[in-house]
Amino acid sequence: MNVIHFMLRNHTQVLELSLEHLWLVGLSTAFAILIGVPLGIVIAHRPRFNKPVLAGANIIQTIPSLALFGFLLPVPWLGSRSDRLAILALTLYALLPIIRNTYTGICGVDSAVIEAARGMGLTESQMLFQVELPLAASVILSGVRIAVVISVGLATIAAAIGAGGLGEFIFRGLAMVDDRVILAGAIPAAVLALAADVGVGVIERRLRPR
Amino acid sequence: MRRKTSALFLVVLLASSLSCAPSHANRIVVGSKNFTESFILGELIAQQIEARTGLKVERRFYLAGTYICQQAILAGRIDVYPEYTGTALTTILKQKASADKTEVYQTVKTGYESRFGLTLGPAFGFNDTFAMEIRGEEARRLNVHTLSEAAKFAPKWHAGFGYEFMERPDGYNGMVATYGLHFQDQPRIMDLGLLARALKDHQIDFAGGNATDGLIPATDLFVLEDDKHYFPPYEAVPVIRQQTAQQHPEVAQALAALENEISDSEMQQMNYAVDGQHRDTEEVVREFLKRKKLVP
Amino acid sequence: MPAASEAPVIEFRDVSYTVSGTQVIANLNLRVDRGETLVLLGRSGSGKTTTLKLINRLVSPTSGQVLVNGNPTAQGDVIQLRRGIGYVIQEVGLFPHFTVERNVAIVPKIEGWTSERIQPRVQELLKLVGLPAELASRYPHQLSGGQRQRVGFARALAADPEILLMDEPFGALDPLTRDELQREFLALQQRLNKTVVFVTHDLREALRLGSRIALMEAGKLVTVLTPHEFLKSTDRWAAAYVKAFGDGLEAAANRGTS
Repeated sequence: MNVIHFMLRNHTQVLELSLEHLWLVGLSTAFAILIGVPLGIVIAHRPRFNKPVLAGANIIQTIPSLALFGFLLPVPWLGSRSDRLAILALTLYALLPIIRNTYTGICGVDSAVIEAARGMGLTESQMLFQVELPLAASVILSGVRIAVVISVGLATIAAAIGAGGLGEFIFRGLAMVDDRVILAGAIPAAVLALAADVGVGVIERRLRPR
Repeated sequence: MRRKTSALFLVVLLASSLSCAPSHANRIVVGSKNFTESFILGELIAQQIEARTGLKVERRFYLAGTYICQQAILAGRIDVYPEYTGTALTTILKQKASADKTEVYQTVKTGYESRFGLTLGPAFGFNDTFAMEIRGEEARRLNVHTLSEAAKFAPKWHAGFGYEFMERPDGYNGMVATYGLHFQDQPRIMDLGLLARALKDHQIDFAGGNATDGLIPATDLFVLEDDKHYFPPYEAVPVIRQQTAQQHPEVAQALAALENEISDSEMQQMNYAVDGQHRDTEEVVREFLKRKKLVP
Repeated sequence: MPAASEAPVIEFRDVSYTVSGTQVIANLNLRVDRGETLVLLGRSGSGKTTTLKLINRLVSPTSGQVLVNGNPTAQGDVIQLRRGIGYVIQEVGLFPHFTVERNVAIVPKIEGWTSERIQPRVQELLKLVGLPAELASRYPHQLSGGQRQRVGFARALAADPEILLMDEPFGALDPLTRDELQREFLALQQRLNKTVVFVTHDLREALRLGSRIALMEAGKLVTVLTPHEFLKSTDRWAAAYVKAFGDGLEAAANRGTS
């Protein structure tokens, strides 16, 4: 039985683990957007904070994921449920691309447009929601896309600490020394990453300012 | 307009991925750890539930260890899995073990119910405690039967243990302290499945295996008696989510029917069938259930 | 011409502006009267654009006061101040993600006009600046430079402000288009009678469009003269400007007088 037959035979579990995987990625990306986009906006408007914030996000990125999982395990409320922990860790890793792209996107808005808008009497929030965010949307989304693709990969490691997802197939397959099981986890994960990359990319292109 | 539809589409995408939160309706998911005995028990639980209730059973075996199983059942990704009372007591509840098996069972049951929303089914009947093994010929030659007696010869021996045994509070350190064991050098850490062969090949002289290892009778290994009762009892029990037990009382009943049905030697035989004879787990379990008339 | 006793629409009282140790504007005293087109003339670095931005508070004075309609700009709501002033810049700064119509309608929209009121106003403005009605649904990137600046102008006029600030609005256009737009500006000014402050470094443009020319050099106001006075001025900077611009200036001055 090759890997395709194996996946078809066990399609319920492949689907279930894929959904778990999507849940981990989706929730953490949502959190990262909720935290990262406002932070990116703040540092774009107040450049004196940009070094510490970007440096901070960068440092998080350099911590190897399994090590980060390990650091967080002893933490009381977090460590008691590994899916919480995994979601926190995934959120942290998604922050840098999102903060950085929000910052770049907003800084990249044509300064003539900003000047005209300010001179016309738009309030700060009108500027943000009617001018800056729509014009930066494509760049911000590209940061989200990067974050999602990274998350899909990292979430496979989360299975090592019991958070579920497609990584469980991979680790199981390694323990059983069974290629089909490994691939039953690796292939859907790769497909998910590709689909996210292409899907978000399409939306990104449509939002690009002319 | 294009912008609005694109934004809407994104929101829908994100929302749908968020709604994938784990949950399963009329299925029971059975988990197991990643060694032979655990997935035999897991398969046993699964087939028992399938045969006795009308429910569909999903198997999620080969979870890499106690912590991962615990996380999976807390998160609701699995509904039931086989655990050992001694393990539950010391590594999950982090309490000191006693030698009394009923006491241990009760402590674990109440602890799980109050802290985790989990409960225990009745024990399967065997005690898979740690078994300190030496070669049969050595035991006969030296006339040694207990761990206390073995302490005399330990300095001449090389020892080998599994990783968890070395790390666990109820494992290596406590044992050498209790019995005053001093081996020739630092013990070798190896995969449980390789211990028996290493012992036979004289690579090690003293191995920390499990009482129901399939290869014990087959390879003439002698299990030293734990005369000081250092090792806590490790009765195999099914751990179930209380929510599952309440929603599906028929599952609890099906598991109750397995109470005391597996003796030490019966478990050993099943382990040997899979490990030694390389038979299919599913088949071995099916045969067992039929023989014991547990399933129609 | 307004009577001298009427209060100025815009007034600078001893205004100075220093940034990073450099004094960009020094002791500026200037008044702009109702209905006039005051041209701020000077070369790069003379402080003319900064002076303009002091009016709608895009820049705040380090000392001194800027008053609009008698009220110091430092007090009061800066947003309301800006919404009452039309602002046109050289790069135009149209929102690339808005149609021409939406661009023009920005200030009315944020001021809460209903769409029944906005729609006809936009059409009226497009006609006023000489743009065909079909352009309303196009996007800025689909327009020529001249068309874009016309839209910028329409946008500035949308909420019918009494003051217009224009910062070298025709500087980026080709000479033919520039000439066309200057002519149209003059015609519009005749009709609308806005109070305009117009920044340029081009003497010809200043003579043509301005009712008075305020010459600035190195952050200081050198002199304020009518176009004809300027041509005959003996002030060394004014004379230098006239010399640098060569012939044909009389003609320009003649077309600009009110």
